[in-house]
Amino acid sequence: MTTTFEGLREILVKDYELDPARLTESTLLTDIELDSLALTEVIFSLEDKYDVIAKTNGAGLATLGDVAKYIDQLIAERDAAAPPVASKKRTTGR
Amino acid sequence: MRRVAVTGLGVVAPGGNDPREFFASLVAGKSAIRVLGDDWTERLATRVAAPVDVDASAHFPAARLRMLDRVSQLALLAARQAVADAALELADEERHTAGVFFGTGMGGAATTDEGYATLYRDDSDRIKPFTVLLAMNNAAGAWIGIEHGLAGPNVTYSVACSSSAVAVGEAWQRIASGTTPVALAGGAEAPLTLGTIKAWEALKTLATEDPDDPAASCKPFSKNRSGLVLGEGAAVVVLEDWERAVQRGAEIRGEIVGYGLGTDTAHITRPTVEGQARAMRLALASAGLAPERIGYINAHGTGTLANDGVESAAIRSVFGAHADRLAVSSTKSMHGHLLGAAGAVELVATLLALQTGTLPPTMHLAEPDPECDLDYVPNTARAAPHLELAMSSSFAFGGTNAVLVCRRA
Repeated sequence: MTTTFEGLREILVKDYELDPARLTESTLLTDIELDSLALTEVIFSLEDKYDVIAKTNGAGLATLGDVAKYIDQLIAERDAAAPPVASKKRTTGR
Repeated sequence: MRRVAVTGLGVVAPGGNDPREFFASLVAGKSAIRVLGDDWTERLATRVAAPVDVDASAHFPAARLRMLDRVSQLALLAARQAVADAALELADEERHTAGVFFGTGMGGAATTDEGYATLYRDDSDRIKPFTVLLAMNNAAGAWIGIEHGLAGPNVTYSVACSSSAVAVGEAWQRIASGTTPVALAGGAEAPLTLGTIKAWEALKTLATEDPDDPAASCKPFSKNRSGLVLGEGAAVVVLEDWERAVQRGAEIRGEIVGYGLGTDTAHITRPTVEGQARAMRLALASAGLAPERIGYINAHGTGTLANDGVESAAIRSVFGAHADRLAVSSTKSMHGHLLGAAGAVELVATLLALQTGTLPPTMHLAEPDPECDLDYVPNTARAAPHLELAMSSSFAFGGTNAVLVCRRA
């Protein structure tokens, strides 16, 4: 099973055409020119991939490892809760 | 009033991805209108449109591309050409006054469509995070300002089919009044999406496909005209204080000498002879020119029943007997109606007509209409070596009539 970091790396390689060799857990977001706006979109993609809902846009996260850990934390919170709250479908209406 | 030079041209439009290619295509009478082949177009009653043949995505890094709707991609490509053509270099203090004056009717139409599809078709709440930034009307102008470091006024005009003519006219006024020495002005539109075309279809203003030759579906001023054909594209010009341009040794591509702006208040769509004529008169007055000085008009000429007769009558009312010596053509017969980008794209065509002394034709004019009784340069380009002054007209839904007057450099 792939780790969350590997999932993050897949997104960055596919959507941002970044060289996978540059992407390690200690890579700073600023080093790959991932600003707060781009991070918002990356987190959105991670939400879809891991079926979680992030509460922030990632402000304060410095490295790719930090981003992966943040998502892992959301996954753990989701799994601890019952029933799961995250869904791609809307939760209100018909 | 200061003189305003055009020192750079950029265009990405149906028929050509730079000014030279675009104008050569017009002079050759080549229509870029065709039947769209994409699967989503099967739902359209009329599948003819005028797309731009450019893979804009090849010109931007992946991270940037994710932030650009097609309308901004086309706008940035046209702006790059114009800046390169002008060999524009600005000192830091000049950047603080240099502006972007841009026009678009719809902004990021594909992004808006995609958002609605996610929400309503897919019944999902996962609207993409950049939707607002891609769809907002001022995105294209903003990106141009960012890419070229232009920190003066950056304004987007959204007045339907007059958007970019107004943008150029307002930039012209800024430079003529001495408040802005340099501006990038123009417009872009990328309306070839299911939602947008369907909305136009419902309005019953789109041309029916010519069964013999789809490329000939747009027939301005012809009795058998059946409506407009939607197109996409962008054009940008570099406008510059004349003295500044001369001092830096810029190659001057033309001069903008007049701008007329007025509004029909009779109806939201139906044009009036008086309204169109008034904008033309205002443009001539602002240029200090008698009507007899104008040799060519690049008409609004949409190919709709409503516009072309009214526009012909408006030209006759402004120019009197000179209307019979004037050449008028609608290049929309070949590149379609680019809505908010139309004014800028047709301004570039007008400037190139002046520069080359060649009038692009009105194509597909097969049946004379008694209501359209001017010289429309039918079906074949014409040499006009003595052409000195020309006009470009844009008339919009909502009633905004914008007219620009240009002089050969």
